Amino acid sequence: MRNQILWLVERALLLVISGIVIFPITWMFLTAFKQPRDAYSLSLDFTPTIQNFITVFSEPWNLGDMVFNSVVVAVVTVAISVPCASLAAYSFSRFRVRGRKFLFFLILSTQFIPAVVIVLPFFLMFRSLGLLDTRIALIIVNLAIVTPFVIWMIKGFIDAIPVDSEEAAMIDGASRLRVIKDIVLPMAAPGILTSAIFCFILTWNEFLFALILSRSDAVTLPVGLVSFRTERGDLWELMSAAGVMITVPIFVMALFIQKHFTRGMTAGAVK
Amino acid sequence: MRERLLPHFLLVPAFLIVLATTIYPLAYSLVTSFREWDLTKQRRPGDFVGLGNYLEAATESAFLNSLWVTTVFVVSSVVLTLVFAFSMALLLRRTGRLHTFTRIILILPFAMSPALIGVSYRFMFNPEFGVLAKGLGQLFPVLEGIPWLADPDLAMGILVATDVWHWTPYMTFMCLGGLASIPKETEEAARVDGASNLRIIFEIVLPQMKGVLLVTAVLKTIFALKMFDQVVTLTGGGPGISTETLAFFIFNVGFKWFDMGYASALAWILTLIMMAISAWYVRMLLSERKVVAA
Repeated sequence: MRNQILWLVERALLLVISGIVIFPITWMFLTAFKQPRDAYSLSLDFTPTIQNFITVFSEPWNLGDMVFNSVVVAVVTVAISVPCASLAAYSFSRFRVRGRKFLFFLILSTQFIPAVVIVLPFFLMFRSLGLLDTRIALIIVNLAIVTPFVIWMIKGFIDAIPVDSEEAAMIDGASRLRVIKDIVLPMAAPGILTSAIFCFILTWNEFLFALILSRSDAVTLPVGLVSFRTERGDLWELMSAAGVMITVPIFVMALFIQKHFTRGMTAGAVK
Repeated sequence: MRERLLPHFLLVPAFLIVLATTIYPLAYSLVTSFREWDLTKQRRPGDFVGLGNYLEAATESAFLNSLWVTTVFVVSSVVLTLVFAFSMALLLRRTGRLHTFTRIILILPFAMSPALIGVSYRFMFNPEFGVLAKGLGQLFPVLEGIPWLADPDLAMGILVATDVWHWTPYMTFMCLGGLASIPKETEEAARVDGASNLRIIFEIVLPQMKGVLLVTAVLKTIFALKMFDQVVTLTGGGPGISTETLAFFIFNVGFKWFDMGYASALAWILTLIMMAISAWYVRMLLSERKVVAA
């Protein structure tokens, strides 16, 4: 009897937790498909429309440009940081270089620096270089946040790969670079992919840098949200449609790497 | 020879990125923090004023307010997130279909843009047509017609709620990782001896989880100190200055008033606070490790 009650309580709690997580997301998705007048009512009885999506993608909102900026910034940031970080992670994982611990600590400790400290000097530098409101500027500052994080994550994955096969190949006369290319990379691929997706998510959601360094040309999706606050008040149905556009690609990716995801985000931390 | 230098070469690209995008800007802002540089008045950096900018902070009430706001926010957010994350991890470590489903669902808040979380809570707590403001009013008549975000304490509460909602899942996964790594034997032995679930959790599981919980606490504290996005999209620092955290205050000084010298000094104060807290935690963690090892 007591066990049955516990069983029920446990299930009930799990349902409540899932509900708390899903509710705000669901409400946003519903609102995105509501007509403006329905958006301001709590009724679930409405005729769904895709008008909001058509509106946000046309003048004056031009969400398409923001999607483009977000994609370019995130993809290029990943394309630069992940290869560089993978090499560094391999070195940190396999070699006993002098000053290695210090260097690794230095790189990790940059994660403890508030972004606002970094963005002030970047704002001044980009201002004098004429790089304000460009995608290049956003890519550069995003590298600052993402690179140390990715090094740390990929190192965790490489640490978990046994060194035996590498050593065997070296004894057979393969060079270290060959070993990296033919043995380590294929084995670390899932970890590197997971890290790349993490990196993409961080950059995609990044708000502070984009808010400060972009004005019109380089505005990314999260900053674009703020533009739906107008003199006429907050346009919730349009904000929700934009929110769906921000969320869907990220959710798809997160669920795609779901198994590795939890391991990746906790691997380094727990050790 | 080539083989011997390889370990260093592999580090070069990443190190150059970190050097150019973090170390250099840090040095730049440190130097700026000792200068007078008001962008509305001067294009080029002005005179060195020593600790002038730092002293200005010490006497400014808006800065002291932001320190207080940040403290309230960080403490409530860290404590709530940790308590929820640990409890949820205890619930989720068993297997079952509903458990698996919940674990998958939990990935979503972490993947969601914090700016968007702020926007969606602002919508849900809108007193006229927000689903939570209205829904809570219907369920508990006392709460009917409360102007949620216009009340300083409630606005802070909702700000904390967005952050807890965002981070609890991540921290739950960290706790789950920790729970998976502690040996099951002692727990089972205690169960055989007839110890209650609560006693097992408090006297056997919790002491072994100390290290993991400490790491979780450090990370959460750092994230909470950095939190910025939701302040902009949820409260805008208001009502008044009641939710103006230090990060948001620095943003205002730098990019509304364009006082670069003062903003840099404030940013460095925040950095020092974060470094001090991390160092303190790391020391606790190290002494913890020694105890466990012994």
